[in-house]
Amino acid sequence: MKHLFILLISAIFFLGCKKDNVAHLTTPYTLKIPSHFPPMTIPIDNLMTVEGVELGRKLFYEKKLSADNTISCATCHAPSNAFSDPNQYSTGIDGIAGNRNSMALINLGWNESFFWDGRSQTLEQQIIQPVINPIEMHEQWVNVVGKLNADVEYRNLFYKAFGSTEIDSLQAAKAVAQFLRTLISGESKFDVMYKYANNLALSDSEQSMYQSVTPSEWAGYDLFKSLNGADCFHCHNGALMQVQKFSNNGLDAVFTDLGRGAVNGNANDNGKFKVPTLRNIEFSAPYMHDGRFSTLDEVIDHYSHGIQMSSTVDPLIEFAGQGGVQLDAQEKDLLKQFLLTLTDENFVNNPNFQEPE
Amino acid sequence: MKSLTLFALVFGGALIFVACKDDEVVVCEDNPNYLNITVQPVFDAENLYLDSVYATAEGYDVKFSDIKFYMEDVKNGSSNLIDAALFDYRSRGTLLLNTVGTPDGFGSLTANLGVQSLINHNDPAAFLNTSMLNIVNSNDMHWGWNPGYIFVKVEGKVDTIQDGIPLFNHNVVFHIGKDENLQLLSFSNLNWQSTGVDYTLPLKLDMALFLQNGAETIDLKNEYSSHTAAGQEALSMKVISNFRNAITVL
Repeated sequence: MKHLFILLISAIFFLGCKKDNVAHLTTPYTLKIPSHFPPMTIPIDNLMTVEGVELGRKLFYEKKLSADNTISCATCHAPSNAFSDPNQYSTGIDGIAGNRNSMALINLGWNESFFWDGRSQTLEQQIIQPVINPIEMHEQWVNVVGKLNADVEYRNLFYKAFGSTEIDSLQAAKAVAQFLRTLISGESKFDVMYKYANNLALSDSEQSMYQSVTPSEWAGYDLFKSLNGADCFHCHNGALMQVQKFSNNGLDAVFTDLGRGAVNGNANDNGKFKVPTLRNIEFSAPYMHDGRFSTLDEVIDHYSHGIQMSSTVDPLIEFAGQGGVQLDAQEKDLLKQFLLTLTDENFVNNPNFQEPE
Repeated sequence: MKSLTLFALVFGGALIFVACKDDEVVVCEDNPNYLNITVQPVFDAENLYLDSVYATAEGYDVKFSDIKFYMEDVKNGSSNLIDAALFDYRSRGTLLLNTVGTPDGFGSLTANLGVQSLINHNDPAAFLNTSMLNIVNSNDMHWGWNPGYIFVKVEGKVDTIQDGIPLFNHNVVFHIGKDENLQLLSFSNLNWQSTGVDYTLPLKLDMALFLQNGAETIDLKNEYSSHTAAGQEALSMKVISNFRNAITVL
């Protein structure tokens, strides 16, 4: 009976307290959000942790995500190119090129949809797709999970991030999403100009940067915001330099890529694509959803003289009927000088965003 | 020995009770009531759909691609309903606002059509995420070039060449803001409709009335664009006045 008593007590301790035996602690990650940015909404089921971000960063550069272990997310989203691809179209492991340019990954935590056609509503959803896309990484998640499971370092990193010894694709997507949410750019010369124009206080270093803004850059900013100038601000607005919408910006009179319309089947959305941020545009060439323009000069020329009319062209391109906003050579130069103020060297060179050792 | 067994059972039971306190049944509070205000855009007697074609009184074909507006400081006297609501027909459908509350005390409502000057020029990033005035929520309803909110946004296309060919030769762009154009909305004798535990106040926005409000007609052939810029004062005021008058209780 004495043994029975000891057994019973042991069993009760085991059953009653097993929950506490697997206590798992993570360290909250504090995002460095610029003072003139809004707070970022973090999904309740994927809170930011130091461990999650570290894992996500490693996965972002991990070539095991592709079937032949040759490409990673960073292959088509290189830090030096503002996390985009300098090639017009990215090429997958089978040598097949897509038909859209890789989007720059900047300030994604404030975006409402992902991909040029907005087919993913969350970062976590978006991250799942390139792995299984046959013209990209052409891999199955079950294989990726197998490869990661075979790596003791990953097993430890996943455990630290999620407290689970079972790696799965959702955890991988969550970790990469956490890393992508840290890719915040808000330390460009434009940020100082924006804050000054909106009567927001400048720090000492920002005061110094403010002094370096040239009259031409200010003139370019005025043109950018002018209804009768370049008229860019309707779509590239606010501190984030983009609005959350899909727009047909007059690239084609006849569509070869339906864009948003192909996703939702609404003909009124044919030829519309997600409005991208203009931040770090100096680094993110080529431009447009199909990378058709190699230089900023070509982009400015398009909006100035090259607008093509179609049934879904954005009503905000008010000078579409005459081909564009008709900037002269001097105005184009000023506008370009302003666009270059969106360069944030601290962003592209941030050591926390580079491939881990 | 019997008493030892009894002790073990009692002790064990106590341990289970203590160890499993996380699993105690949590008694939830009653579900709160919600108040919804909806706005159904119509064109005369029929419901209006974005990108569909309607005929104006002048015989032009018009199709709207975006209808948005701010309703701010929604209250009945000293009883506040919500700080600000944003209507966005394309993204959010007919829902104007959804907030915890009951109809008690909200038999009448006043609100600004737009955003009062006291907060219109504040940093849009500084509002709470839950506020529709936060720049993430306001999105393209905040002007960078003229810091402040766009009160009313109507975008679309109009075909003013009556030849049967749907050319839609004019863009229609009304972006009305600025402090001097703020309008007051007032609704009384409200009949909140019960939908289970929630209540809904249905409003309507008649875009035909918006274009043809008595003598205040907006002729889209000649009056199709205003960004509330200098030189556009008269049209801007007409647009937002007509818009205010087009919002009524359904």
